[in-house]
Amino acid sequence: MNRQRTSLFRANRLKTVVVVTRDVVLTSIIDRFLKDSYSIVVFTKIEHSLDYIYNSLPDLLIIDISLDDVVTIGIINDLKSDPIFGQVPVLAVLSDDFIIPKWDYLFIEDYVRRSYIETDIIAKADLCIKRAERVIEINPLTRLPGNITIIKQIQRRLETGEIFAIAYADLDYFKPFNDKYGFGRGDEVLKMLGRLILNTVKHKQPNSFVGHIGGDDFIYIMGPDLVESATQEILDNFDRIIPTFYDAEDRAKGNIESIDREGIKKTFPIMGISIGIATNKIASYSHYGEVTERASEMKKYAKYTGGSCFRIDKRQYASKN
Amino acid sequence: MDIQNLRSQIEKVDTLPTMPSVLKKLLKVIENPKVSLNEIGNFISSDPVLTTRVLKVVNSPIYGFPGRISSVSQALILLGLNVVRGMLLGVSVFEVMERAMVGLWEHSMGCAVTARIIAQKKGVKEPEEISVAALLHDIGKVVLSLKFTDEYKDILNNAEKNGLYISEAEKAHFSITHAEAGAWIAQKWNFPKSLIEVIEYHHKPHLSKNIPVQSAIVHLADILIQARGFGFSGNNFVPPVHPAAWQALNLSETDMKEILIEMEEVLEQAEDFLISSE
Repeated sequence: MNRQRTSLFRANRLKTVVVVTRDVVLTSIIDRFLKDSYSIVVFTKIEHSLDYIYNSLPDLLIIDISLDDVVTIGIINDLKSDPIFGQVPVLAVLSDDFIIPKWDYLFIEDYVRRSYIETDIIAKADLCIKRAERVIEINPLTRLPGNITIIKQIQRRLETGEIFAIAYADLDYFKPFNDKYGFGRGDEVLKMLGRLILNTVKHKQPNSFVGHIGGDDFIYIMGPDLVESATQEILDNFDRIIPTFYDAEDRAKGNIESIDREGIKKTFPIMGISIGIATNKIASYSHYGEVTERASEMKKYAKYTGGSCFRIDKRQYASKN
Repeated sequence: MDIQNLRSQIEKVDTLPTMPSVLKKLLKVIENPKVSLNEIGNFISSDPVLTTRVLKVVNSPIYGFPGRISSVSQALILLGLNVVRGMLLGVSVFEVMERAMVGLWEHSMGCAVTARIIAQKKGVKEPEEISVAALLHDIGKVVLSLKFTDEYKDILNNAEKNGLYISEAEKAHFSITHAEAGAWIAQKWNFPKSLIEVIEYHHKPHLSKNIPVQSAIVHLADILIQARGFGFSGNNFVPPVHPAAWQALNLSETDMKEILIEMEEVLEQAEDFLISSE
């Protein structure tokens, strides 16, 4: 576990590019241009590369395609249709007379013509990888980055020794709201909350990070000296905005009737947010799991208080590792 | 022109222009790199057209909560400074500026501050929502005079010459009034239902079933500000207050006196604002 973690998160690991071509001239050109920035693994046929791809998930696949090579095209399309391996960007090298088909039949990210290889290959390879990193794993509802990115963001900060605070937010009484009004209305609230957290946190500190774990769980990472004021702003603004997401009569009553987890009919107040905050300013952590656990603990503690509020972990720890 | 046709013409309006003086001030505000969301918010809230822009964007399906946001400050929190700045960069101005339009701006702004005073007196929970509704109550007039510029000039003249209320003159020409036109565009732009209802019924508060108090407040503010002679709504004389509005608000004579006194204080500041914008 530990070993795998370091390989996943080591910041300066050379990215891997798999090159598939029979053309030795092409191989040597690509090798010459990319070998300084990437570690290159060459195969002559795509069939031979699959075992490697399945086991190591490279950062880019550069593949020499000719139009009549239905086998290669079929394998690329299968690979790109898989949710895990589909994230590996594919850069095709096309001969100058290759007629580009409809993109629905060839699942690649980008291409470069054979006669432009020398001028374009570095830029195209870099761009493919950057683009894939950018679109990786966003929550479809809020368009905020999801768990993999969240973990990477935390782990990177831990490894570089950056001092930061991590806040873990979720809603109180979201489930009864969802049950009463339907998940479409619940989604409206989540989209609003994502936008609210994002704007408040980024406005306070542009180089901060906001992620959506899923459901009504959100995370943000920022400087420990700004986190309290940002959090208070989120709470205040949420409390002001949330009533408009209820029907007028419920809004006037200040509560809704819905069913609890045991299926019993009860009255529930208007939603609030509970936020737990942990920081490595006073405690030392080496693994993202430790720091998110603290934040999550603090969030539970905030929940006991009732109403929108936050709690910060003020205890000092030494990392278990 | 039949009503369906008229409605589809009006729904084609995508954005409204504002006053040249507002644009001048606006550029100063957004070019200031240190401007706060609050300052921008106060500025936007003083202009009906900038307010419609913000509400249109935040209530568009792109953000995922259409028809929910009816206050400028909430809209700004959810849009963020960059989006708001970018949006304001695209604001245009009326090509031909009519004197009546300047008067309408003053009327709208005066109505907004008056409605807020009444809302506070009545202890309404979100007074900002009411002042936004009051600011936008006559947005139909802006739409009609933008879309049918010459015809609307005739309507204004007709009202003046023949002693008609502006809505009577509108009705005679279009068979609808600015209240319907405003409600149509507000609906098209996914504004919250309550806001649409106030715009639609600000002359007929008794028809406002869901938010009778809010509609009555805007109705009363609309008339008080005309009685005060602040701005120009298009009416050459003051319309009566609908009995249903008195009933819904239940204001005592003391309440009314206090409202009028507070109005004077706030309007003085507003006048300063309008003069300084010239």
